[in-house]
Amino acid sequence: MARDSNALAADAAGNALDGDATQIRKKRRRAARPVAAATAAKVSATSDTAARVADTNQCEHDGGVGSASADANDGVPPEPFYHRIGQLTRTLHDALRELGYDRDLAHVKEHLPDARDRLSYIARVTGEAAEKVLNAVDRARNVQQGLSAQAGGLHKRWQAVAAFAHGAADRATPAGRTLVAETCAFFSGVGGQADATNTILTDIMMAQDFHDLTGQVIRRVVTLATTMEEQLVRLLIDSTPPEQRKKVDGAIIEPSLNGPVVNGESRSEVVSNQSQVDDLLATLGF
Amino acid sequence: MAEPRFLIVDDFSTMRRIVRNLLKEIGFSNAEEAEDGAVALSMLKGSKFDFVVSDINMPNMNGFELLNNIKSDDNLKAIPVLMVTAEAKKEDIVLAAKSGAAGYIVKPFTKATLEEKVQKIMQKVAA
Repeated sequence: MARDSNALAADAAGNALDGDATQIRKKRRRAARPVAAATAAKVSATSDTAARVADTNQCEHDGGVGSASADANDGVPPEPFYHRIGQLTRTLHDALRELGYDRDLAHVKEHLPDARDRLSYIARVTGEAAEKVLNAVDRARNVQQGLSAQAGGLHKRWQAVAAFAHGAADRATPAGRTLVAETCAFFSGVGGQADATNTILTDIMMAQDFHDLTGQVIRRVVTLATTMEEQLVRLLIDSTPPEQRKKVDGAIIEPSLNGPVVNGESRSEVVSNQSQVDDLLATLGF
Repeated sequence: MAEPRFLIVDDFSTMRRIVRNLLKEIGFSNAEEAEDGAVALSMLKGSKFDFVVSDINMPNMNGFELLNNIKSDDNLKAIPVLMVTAEAKKEDIVLAAKSGAAGYIVKPFTKATLEEKVQKIMQKVAA
């Protein structure tokens, strides 16, 4: 019989704590050997902090959250859950700083703008490419229109030649009459071919909407990266000694996660094509 | 009868060009462009337009805000607004319909879809 998820989660938390404790013990042993008393003091603080993390987690493990849930089930008011999360976060911040992980966070934070810039670069370059294609489509359309107009004019003139050749069989060779007929047919068909080319050009033009669609997805990812960066900055601020906090820039950017729906087919709250939009609007009387 | 004047509102210039070219192909070559709702509203208040084709997700003023501004202005509320957007959420479509949008097209769309919606709205306005 499978164990319940709480028990598995508790085990996982216990294992993680065991792992953390081992790491901390190793670090402590390494630091405690011949180093200066200051280092030893720091390690001691680290150990204390880790112990606080362990205590807090152990509290959760022993039924802190679980008992809150159980209390709620019993109709007893729940414990101040968010306050405890806040305490846990504070302890984690302290541990990060004392273990030196704040430098790792800073490293990750430094790379996020780079990732964001790369995505913005992709959006910009693909946008420029789409614009180039649209410019080329416009030029090709103009060429096609000119070709079609010229062919129409020549067709009329060659029809007159064809009529003359037909009425003056003695002055036109069979090969000449055939050539006139084929030339007329060619000029007659140019207009239709130009229209067909225009349809293809329209398809090429429509395909450039990828820039709008992918651009919005990229914008969404960039916003996510910005939000993550913001959270990391906050974490860094919280784990930075007060006297150094002025150095950390904590600009806040409001997230806006709008944009095209990805994997819409598997979601019930979105529509995946125009006919579904029309059906929905029809149900609303539009 | 004068040719109807369109206002195409989208923050992506590529999309504005596509819609503009499509409108031209289906017989409407009189069109202006705006990159967001705020610019569009300013243009609408400063000059006469007969039809608005608007995206939803835009900076400064989004498509819903633009739609609400148009429908709450006595001088503008008669202008039909066709939403052309990548937003495919049902709640957005319902909101657009309830806010007074004349139609809703999801991207990517075809020339035939745009033509059908524009003609249908034009006929409704003329009736």
